[in-house]
Amino acid sequence: MAERAPGRGGGDVSTTVDRPASVPAPAEPSRPGPVSWLTTTNHKHIGIMYCVTAFAFFLIGGALADLLRTELAEPGRQLLSNEAYNTTFTIHGTIMIFLFVAPFGAGLGNYLVPLQIGAPDMAFPRLNALSYWTFAGGGLLVLLSGFAAAGGGTATGWTAYPPLSESRLSPSIATDLWIFGLALVAMATLLTGINILTTVFLMRAPGMTMWRVPIFTWNMVVTSILGLVAFPPAVAAFGLLFLDRRVGGHAFDPLGGGDPVIYQHLFWFLGHPEVYILILPFFGVITEIIPVFARKPLFGYLGFVLATLAIGALSVGVWAHHMFTTGVVDNPFFSAMTFTIAVPTGVKFFNWIGTMWGGKIRLATPMLFTIGFLLNFLIGGVTGVLLASAPIDFQIADSYFLVSHFHYTMMGGAVFGIFAAIYFWYPKITGTMLRESLGRWVFYLLFFGFNLTFWPQFVLGLRGMPRRIVDYSSGLGFETPNLVSTIGAGVMTVAVLVFLADLWISRRHRIPAGDDPWGGSSLEWATTSPPPEHNFDAVPRIRSSRPAFDLHHPELEP
Amino acid sequence: MTTPAVRRALRALAVVAAAVGLAACSSSFGMPRGASEQGQDIFSLWHTFMIAGIVVGAIVYGLIGWSLIRYRRRRADDDEALGRQFHGHVPIEIVYTAIPIVIVIALFTMSLRTEQRVADLSPDPAVTLHAEAFAWGWRFTYEGQNVTVVSDPSGEGVTGPEIALPRGETVRVVLTSDDVIHAFWVPDFLFKRDAIPGHVNEFDVTPTDTGTYQGVCAEFCGLNHAYMTFRVAVMEPEVFERWLSARRAEEVAT
Repeated sequence: MAERAPGRGGGDVSTTVDRPASVPAPAEPSRPGPVSWLTTTNHKHIGIMYCVTAFAFFLIGGALADLLRTELAEPGRQLLSNEAYNTTFTIHGTIMIFLFVAPFGAGLGNYLVPLQIGAPDMAFPRLNALSYWTFAGGGLLVLLSGFAAAGGGTATGWTAYPPLSESRLSPSIATDLWIFGLALVAMATLLTGINILTTVFLMRAPGMTMWRVPIFTWNMVVTSILGLVAFPPAVAAFGLLFLDRRVGGHAFDPLGGGDPVIYQHLFWFLGHPEVYILILPFFGVITEIIPVFARKPLFGYLGFVLATLAIGALSVGVWAHHMFTTGVVDNPFFSAMTFTIAVPTGVKFFNWIGTMWGGKIRLATPMLFTIGFLLNFLIGGVTGVLLASAPIDFQIADSYFLVSHFHYTMMGGAVFGIFAAIYFWYPKITGTMLRESLGRWVFYLLFFGFNLTFWPQFVLGLRGMPRRIVDYSSGLGFETPNLVSTIGAGVMTVAVLVFLADLWISRRHRIPAGDDPWGGSSLEWATTSPPPEHNFDAVPRIRSSRPAFDLHHPELEP
Repeated sequence: MTTPAVRRALRALAVVAAAVGLAACSSSFGMPRGASEQGQDIFSLWHTFMIAGIVVGAIVYGLIGWSLIRYRRRRADDDEALGRQFHGHVPIEIVYTAIPIVIVIALFTMSLRTEQRVADLSPDPAVTLHAEAFAWGWRFTYEGQNVTVVSDPSGEGVTGPEIALPRGETVRVVLTSDDVIHAFWVPDFLFKRDAIPGHVNEFDVTPTDTGTYQGVCAEFCGLNHAYMTFRVAVMEPEVFERWLSARRAEEVAT
């Protein structure tokens, strides 16, 4: 890295503009009232609103999962009708993917990206507010499509494959609500993507070259690009589906000469980059956390960024591995692409191990969740390689093996990343600590409950249990694994309740955190907790990828 | 990097990997071993993949576990203790990128060969079975035999229709759907294929073991998806011929 003179005009693309001196420094804001929350354009408030809304959706989606698991605890139908079960898993999947994990990543990005690059706010603050409210409105429509539509909730699965989702087979208006809700969420994703990219490319503080940008921000850059690439085809698919349903289009309906397979191509052209949109922010999160708790720099920064870019590039070429069993795609090509994407993902594990190697690892709560992420995601990754093989996929596609695989990546990975992020940045956002003792309980319960829930589902899949069934016969070996899985779901529910108790107690009895309780690396740890209105009263010198660390360890500055 | 402690750990790791590997060679890892030639082919691919996955997984878990134990902060360390401040190691980084590339090329090659064999269509199958899926059942027609097997109107507690296949002979399945997308899945054949309206999918299955196997619809198709089951009875060819005649007589009688 070429050394440049510190200070403004250091020759980088970034510039900062002095705030006019006549503007008085805002008084320390008292707690903002409801009106200021509704009208805010501040990236930190919007980030918090995103995360809180997303987490509320998580609680709803989790409650739905508990319903599903209770129904499946034993053979026969106990709790839900076929219709209710089908609606429940449709809304569960839609919420967890589009209304929880992805927006939580967007919320973290909103909060952290300007802080990490030393910017006062996002590039387009009002657009940012529009993103949030579009997302919230879209989320509400999706929720309504499950519970509040005449004609019954939408029950097409989160993939909404036609012809099942055509109006003659799913006549309820709920499916239209669902389509419009997701179109709004897609628009919010596009707007946030534009905003984050503009912010990172144009608003970095002096000295913050692209090769010093923190990994979390890098991952948000790639996530944003993927959003811009993947969501327009999905909106096209949903739009065509709506035309099919309501104005007699026949794009996907074979009765009118349409082809349902085209929908699958469009949908998965969203769907597969989407899983990287879901996981990349949390790769970023744990890559911020490991160096801080190992007390070391990241091992192989450049390789890590290149691997992330490779994942982004390859992820738009793997979509038809969701269609190996259709018999109408070029399986070897998509299989080869999918094997290839395993390489940059695998490389990251060595970055993380290399970062821990030779460190002084502190096992605080954020690090515990990070280790949980590593252990779970590895299983998700290895089973992903199995699914990349078309012949093996012929057996395990659409079985509980697949269900378990993607929960190991999305829940065992992304959701553990979310908890790691909450415990790591809560002190920055609020200026107070969460309870370390309760946090450990949350981790152990969640980790144990998660594996108890999903490990038996691998067994179920291998014994031949298909996904999305409300009932199963006895005598096929499905009883015990299903029961164990349901018990695991109960343990996870307890973990989430302990977490909510932790939040409640920590807000009631505040333990001041100071500005930098963990000894952080990136720029957000160099400002106050919570940060002032425009983030920094003074931006420290940026001479490496960890300016806050350099500030406290000038003897080690490069 | 080659302190005695590291060497001891590596040796222990090798022993564990060898033990796991030996145990793995005889395990099916929960997968049915396959009641058809194609299924057994897929099973052996699965077996190889699982062994590779377990070896790689054990090495990575071992490295994570080793780092956490060896490099944890001790009580003796003061709060500000730092790890060694190194930023990378290019040769190691190249090695850990190259090794996964080699592994996935090998796995992909094996996978591709298996797929070519499994997807291969015989020029003269002994039996051609047309399978039409509908919501929520199946209509199976034996080509040129005047034999059709149809689901009862499906619902809870209904056992699906039972079809018969001859052991050791190649059966061509010609698959399509009347309404929405379904999928034909017999877990013991380790194979499923989608039934898509407007498309016809064909595949061969050569049963190797007599017995009755469960079949299900694997693609979500609405209200009674869970109950869209069927059964496949694999029998000796001469028994199969008698079964066909009996069914033919039954159809003439009704």
